[in-house]
Amino acid sequence: MVLDNPLLLGAIGAGLAVGIAGFGSGIGAGIAGASGAGVIAEDPSKFGTAIVFQALPQTQGLYGFLVAILILFVFKNAPEWAMVGAGVATGLAGLSAIGQGIASAAGLGAVAEDEKIFGKAMVFSVLPETQAIYGLLVAILLLVGVFGNSLGATTIAALGAGLAVGFAGLSGIGQGITAAAAIGATARDPDAMGKGLVLAVMPETFAIFGLLIAILIMLGIMF
Amino acid sequence: MRPARMRKLRAVILDEKMDNVVRELHEEGLMELCDLTSKLEDPQWADLLSPSSPAPYLRDVSALLIKTNRFLDLFDSVKGEEKGGLKELLNPTLPPKEKVNFSSADEVISYGRSLLEEVEGEVKELADRLNHLENKINNLQQLKRYLEYLKDFQVDLEHLKSGPYTYVAVGLIPEDKVAQLKEKLSSITDNLSEVVEGKPVVTTENERKVPVVVVTLKEYRDKVGGELRRSGFERIEVSNLKGTPGENLERIEREIRECEKERENILSKLRELAKKWYRKLLVLHELLEIEKERAESYTYYGRTERTYMLEGWVPEKYVDRVKNTIERASEGCGVVEVKEPDEPEEKIPVMLDNPKPVKPFEMLTEMFAPPKYNEIDPTLLIVPGFLIFYGIMLTDAVYGLLLTLIGLFVWKKLGKVSEGARNIGYILTLAGIATVIAGIITGGYLGDFLKEFLGFDIYKTPFALVNPLGESFYINEVRPLLKLGSISVDNGPIAILLFSILVGILHLFIGLVVGFKENLEKKGFKEAFLNQGIWLLLIIGLALGLVTNMPSIILATVALVVLLCIVRGYMKGGILDAMLGVMDITGFLGNVLSYARLLALCLATGGLAMAVNIMAKLIGDSIPVIGILLALIVLLIGHTFNFVMNGLGAFIHSLRLHYVEFFGQFYEGGGKKFQPFKAKREYTTVN
Repeated sequence: MVLDNPLLLGAIGAGLAVGIAGFGSGIGAGIAGASGAGVIAEDPSKFGTAIVFQALPQTQGLYGFLVAILILFVFKNAPEWAMVGAGVATGLAGLSAIGQGIASAAGLGAVAEDEKIFGKAMVFSVLPETQAIYGLLVAILLLVGVFGNSLGATTIAALGAGLAVGFAGLSGIGQGITAAAAIGATARDPDAMGKGLVLAVMPETFAIFGLLIAILIMLGIMF
Repeated sequence: MRPARMRKLRAVILDEKMDNVVRELHEEGLMELCDLTSKLEDPQWADLLSPSSPAPYLRDVSALLIKTNRFLDLFDSVKGEEKGGLKELLNPTLPPKEKVNFSSADEVISYGRSLLEEVEGEVKELADRLNHLENKINNLQQLKRYLEYLKDFQVDLEHLKSGPYTYVAVGLIPEDKVAQLKEKLSSITDNLSEVVEGKPVVTTENERKVPVVVVTLKEYRDKVGGELRRSGFERIEVSNLKGTPGENLERIEREIRECEKERENILSKLRELAKKWYRKLLVLHELLEIEKERAESYTYYGRTERTYMLEGWVPEKYVDRVKNTIERASEGCGVVEVKEPDEPEEKIPVMLDNPKPVKPFEMLTEMFAPPKYNEIDPTLLIVPGFLIFYGIMLTDAVYGLLLTLIGLFVWKKLGKVSEGARNIGYILTLAGIATVIAGIITGGYLGDFLKEFLGFDIYKTPFALVNPLGESFYINEVRPLLKLGSISVDNGPIAILLFSILVGILHLFIGLVVGFKENLEKKGFKEAFLNQGIWLLLIIGLALGLVTNMPSIILATVALVVLLCIVRGYMKGGILDAMLGVMDITGFLGNVLSYARLLALCLATGGLAMAVNIMAKLIGDSIPVIGILLALIVLLIGHTFNFVMNGLGAFIHSLRLHYVEFFGQFYEGGGKKFQPFKAKREYTTVN
C-alpha cells in the first residue's frame, strides 16, 4: 500500500476519469455544436436535431463522471492501483469524443440537407464511441475485481492496463474522421452505407489491440 | 425470408381503352411501371413501337393546377395560424375523406373549371381590392417616411415646385457633404442659389442625413442637378402635394388607417370564404395531381398506330389481380403477358414481404439498405437480437415502462397520420417491454432508488437475478455461477460480461450460418467455406474445447483457422495478403469483443441512475427544508436525462451491432425499392 488510505490514490483516478474525459467531450461537443449553430442559422426548426447530435460526444464525459462516482462512492474498497487504472482507462478513452464530435458534425450537416438520412448518420456518428466503451469496460473489470488477486489487476500493473486501452482509445479520433467522410459518401449515394461502415470500423482494430493487451495484463498470467 | 417474387407484366391495349386501364391501374397501385423509352432506342423495338407523348389532357390539368395553387396560396396567406395547437400536435386527427366518383380526366377538368370559376367569382374582386390596398398602404407609408424628414419645413409644399424661372429640388443629403455642396453650388451658380437646411435626421438605413431644399435659376438646372447627384442627393417627390408636411402627415396617417380598416374587412371576408372553399380546393388539388400523374405516365409507354404497350413489375401474389384489372378495364381489347423477370438482378424492384408483426422492423433493414432481389431479407433476423440488445443496454424496469408508454403513444396517436411514427412507435413499445423484463432480471428500478431512499436492497432478496454492480442473492462469492479456470463468475458484472460474449458469439454464429447457406447456393462450397466456414469452424472448435474441457482442441482449432486465413489471403493476392490474413483472426475477435458493449452500456444506465440518486440524497440530506424540493428536481432532471441519453444510446448501439457485426457476416443490400404506380389519396377516396 502506497498511502495509508487507498481512496487517496482512488481520488486521483476519479479526477483523471472525469477530467480527461470531460476534456474530450468538451472538444467533441464543441465541434458538433459549431456545426449545429450553422445549421440552425439556416433552418431554426432543426434545433432538436442539432441537440441530439451534440449529445453524442457528451457520453464520454458521462462515462468519466460515472467511473468517478463508482470509485468514490461504490467500489471504495477496490485495490488502489485498480482505481487509478480505471480512471486512466475511462479518461483517455474518453478522448475519442473528439472523433465523435467530428463525425456528429458531419452527420448533422447531412441531416440538415436530407432528413431521411438521420438513422444512417446516427449509426456512423456513434461508431467512435466504441473506444470509450472499451475504456469503461476495463474500468469496470478493474473496479469489480473480476480477476481476483491477479497482480495485473491489483498492483501498479493495473495502470498499464488502463494506459493500453486508454491510449488505444484515441483511435476514436481517426475513426471519427473516417466516419465523417463516410457520412458524406452515404449522403451522396445511400448504397455506400455498407462499404462505408467497413472502412469506418477499421480504426477500431487498434482499440481492440489495446483492449486485448489490457485484458492480458489484468489476467496477469506473465507475472 | 426473401423479398417478394416479381413478375414482368406486359400488356398491349387498344388506344381508346388505354385511359381506362391507366386509371384503374393507378387506383389499384400494385404495379411499378417500366419506362420503355430506353428500350425504344433499340432498332428492333423501334420498328414496332414509337415513343408516346403525355396524354392530351395534361395541359388543361396543369393550367388548372396552377390556378388552384394560386387560390390555395391566397387562402393560406389570410388564414393565419390554425387553432388546435398542442392538443392537435399530440393527438392528430385524420382529415375526413371526401368520396369522389370521376370516370375520366375530362370530368375532373370540367368539375375543376366550374369550381374554380365559382371561387374566382367570389374571390377575385376581393383579392384585387386587397392587392390594390396593400400597394396603396405601401406607397403611403413610404411617403409618410419621407415627409417626416421634411417636418421642419413649415411651408406649403405647393410652393416647393419648380416655376417658370426657378428650379427647386427637395431631398436628403449625407450630413458631412452639406458644407461642400453649398460652396460648390454657389460657385457654379454665381451665388444665385439658396440651400435651406433642416435638422439632421437618422434614416431607416441608419445614416445621418440632412433634409435640404435647393433653389436656383432654371438655366443652372443641369449643372446643379449633376452636382447634387455627385454629393449623394436623394430626391423626395413632393410636386403633387399641397399644404405643409405636418398637414400632409396627418392626412396620410388618416388614409393609412382607413385603408387598413378596409383591408381588415376584406381579410375577414376572405377568411370566411377560405372556410367555405379551402377544403374543396385541397380536394381538387389532389384530384388534379392524380390526373397529372396519369397523363405523365404515358411517356413510359410505347405505341403503335392504334395500340399502346405498357410494361411493369408486379409482385407474384398480385399478378392475377392486375391481370384481371387490365382485362376488365380494357373490356377485352387488351392482351396481357406475364413472364419471369428477364432483367439483371439489380434492375428488379424489391418489395419486402414480412408478416404483419415484423413489418415495422423493415424500417431498420431499409435504413441500412434494402436487400438485393435475390438476397436474403434480414428483417426477421433483426427482431430478436435488436430487442434483446436494447433491453440489456437500457436495463431498468421504470425506464422500460416509460419507454413502453411513449412507444404506445407514438404508435397509436401520432401513428395515425404518419407511417414512420407508427413503425417507430411499434418498435419502441416492444423495446420498452424488453427493457422492463431486463430491468426486473437485474433489479433496476430507477437504478438503486429503492435502496438509496427506502433502504430496501433488492439484491439481498430473491427478486433480482443479477446485480450489474456487484453481488446478488443468486450470484455471490459463496455461490459462484461457475468457474472458468482461475476466474470465478461470482458477481454481476462478470456474469453479464460472460452472457454478452456468449450472446455475441451466438449472434455471429447465426449470421455466419445464414451467410454460409447463401454462399453455398450461389457461389459454391469453396467461397462459402472461405468466407464463413472458417469462423463457424472456429466457434464450434472453441465450444467443443470448452465443453469437453480440453484446451488442446481450442489451440488446434485456433492454429488451423490462422493457417486457413493465411491460405485464403495467399489465394486472394499473394504473400502480402497472406500476412494480412493473420490479422483476420483479430478482426473476428474484435467482432466478438464488440458485444462487450452490452455490459458497458447496461452498467452505464444503472450506474448513472445511481449517481443521480446519490446526488439527490446528498442534497436532500445536507440542505434543510428546501433540500427535499431540490432533491426532487435533481431526481426528475437527472433521470429524464439518463433515460433519454441511454435510451438513444441503446437504440443506436443495438443497430450498430446489427449493421457492423451481424450484417458483416452475410448481408450486403443495395436493391431498388418497389415503387408502385399508385394514386396518393389523402383527402379523397373512391370507395
